[in-house]
Amino acid sequence: MQHSLTITTRSQADVLERVLRVTRHRGFLVQSMHIEHEVQHLPAGYAIELTVTSERPIAHLTNQLVKLFDVEQVTLKQLQAVASPEAAIA
Amino acid sequence: MNGAQQIVATLKQQGVEQVFGYPGGAIMPLYDALYDGGVKHMLTRHEQGAAMAAVGYARAGANRGLKVGVCIATSGPGATNLVTGLAEAQLDSIPLIAITGQVAQPVIGTDAFQEVDVLGMSLSVTKHSFMVTDVKELKRTIEQAFEIATSGRPGPVLIDVPKDIQLAEVEESLAYVASAKPATAPNASSLAQAKRLISEAKQPMAYVGGGVGMANAVSELRAFLTDSQIPSVSTLKGIGAITEDQPYYLGMLGMHGTKAANLSVQETDLLIVIGARFDDRVTGKLDEFAPDAKVIHLDADASEFGKRREPDVALDSDLKLTLPELHGKCDIAPWQATVNQRKHDFAWRYDHPGAHIFAPAMLNELSKMINKDTVVACDVGQHQMWVAQHMQFDGPENHLSSAGLGTMGFGLPAAIGAQFARPNDTVINVSGDGSFMMNVQELTTIKRAKLPVKMLLIDNNRLGMVRQWQDLFFNGRFSETILDDNPDFVKMASAFDIPGETISNKIDVHAALQRMLNSDGPYLLHVLIDAEENVWPLVPPGVANDKMMEDC
Repeated sequence: MQHSLTITTRSQADVLERVLRVTRHRGFLVQSMHIEHEVQHLPAGYAIELTVTSERPIAHLTNQLVKLFDVEQVTLKQLQAVASPEAAIA
Repeated sequence: MNGAQQIVATLKQQGVEQVFGYPGGAIMPLYDALYDGGVKHMLTRHEQGAAMAAVGYARAGANRGLKVGVCIATSGPGATNLVTGLAEAQLDSIPLIAITGQVAQPVIGTDAFQEVDVLGMSLSVTKHSFMVTDVKELKRTIEQAFEIATSGRPGPVLIDVPKDIQLAEVEESLAYVASAKPATAPNASSLAQAKRLISEAKQPMAYVGGGVGMANAVSELRAFLTDSQIPSVSTLKGIGAITEDQPYYLGMLGMHGTKAANLSVQETDLLIVIGARFDDRVTGKLDEFAPDAKVIHLDADASEFGKRREPDVALDSDLKLTLPELHGKCDIAPWQATVNQRKHDFAWRYDHPGAHIFAPAMLNELSKMINKDTVVACDVGQHQMWVAQHMQFDGPENHLSSAGLGTMGFGLPAAIGAQFARPNDTVINVSGDGSFMMNVQELTTIKRAKLPVKMLLIDNNRLGMVRQWQDLFFNGRFSETILDDNPDFVKMASAFDIPGETISNKIDVHAALQRMLNSDGPYLLHVLIDAEENVWPLVPPGVANDKMMEDC
């Protein structure tokens, strides 16, 4: 199953590695990724558009991504923001 | 003040009195600052020993005024040697701060001497990690690290500090603004739903894990169980949260759980999961675990909800706040009678033929001889399961067992850390002959610090648990598990000025345990057991927990 996520993060050099490591380790394959750094709507961070596939429920990934210290928001495309772990399992 | 001195000053401000570590080139400025900086440092003889000692310190000191273990290592091999300890803390949610030296920033990325990308290496074994690139950031990074390590679900945080940052003069420090969210009350509608499920349940079961101790919610758990009289079982890391005298407590569940616990969990109609996570060693075949049960899941980490089993109600608030809200009487007398009958029918038996020492009986005897504030730090293997099955603990901080990672070599340094955290309490490392050799260099630390750590070494000349599995599931092909070339352990201990003795006959057990407990200083009690002894019961891989193998 394919899912598209938007992830906004703090501007830390290691945050992309963290996002990709969690994505791989939790069983999701990256289909596409687009990254913008310190753009107008996010002057101090990264905006990541991520499309992944997996047999696993997407909550298994979003619940882990929102735990990353430098991740500020995770949004499932066309769904609600999952900014907090509580929202992520809703 | 330079960066290294500021690290020491900030540790002191965080209430740190004791750290564990090993010096080296890239961390020399910090060791210079520690020399007369007012924070006590214990030299271990391997960085893994330092990390495990810090874990033991944090675990034994939990709920007793101490919170965080701190370990220090140099760059490169010093940092790589810490990794197993970080993973240990990550898997068991232990608040740990690791400070590593790093080569100076101008040479980072040049494959400099003792350079490893420690930040990259840390990603999968820490809750978070930092590399400090500006000395102005140093103080607030440390403050932030402590907050991350201790808030929510605790865990290890690594701070990598290049040597030039340690040497740089601190002219200003950026202020830190605490960001941890305060503990939240449970969601009212979820709580109401949970209470309704509890009131409707005919066969409820509390499945209690290590999260209870980490949340300092042991008394709240006990009050909940006492009030509701709901039967309970414990994970390996949850042991000690419930005492043996709690009515309807059935002991550990899972692969080496009690028969009463596993059979009863399979029949429950409501599983109340409290600070536990459906670990594979607990559930056996997941699809057939507690198949008829609805699930109420309480945890500080919401990512555990639905990870292995979908809950009917999830309560992601602080256990200290949630458990008192769940109180209520349950009308479950037939169920209580059933579990009580099983507890009676399947009670452990300690009668054992012959003169060989029966380790379960010995550990049960030891359990009766120690006071409730004794700390037992296990290693990993058969002896670890026997401790979990046959010893009783009052408080999870008294039972230190490598539950998530299953790290052989954990016990001895963890016992050392525990003795620093609890200098007035007896600390016993229960180990096996395989595990003991994994961090045996820390006997020097016991000697150096004059620690009265007791060591109960259960020796079957085997890697016993692997041998057991080879026997049961690999046609008795004992590949690399026969350790008949072990050293003379008592002679080895004597080289570290640690007295000891060997016993092999069960009539000698009580007096030898007494000598060990009565010794003023450290003591090694080396116990020879039969190599053929197995841990029972055992749930084989891929089957449900009610299909456990028993003595065969």
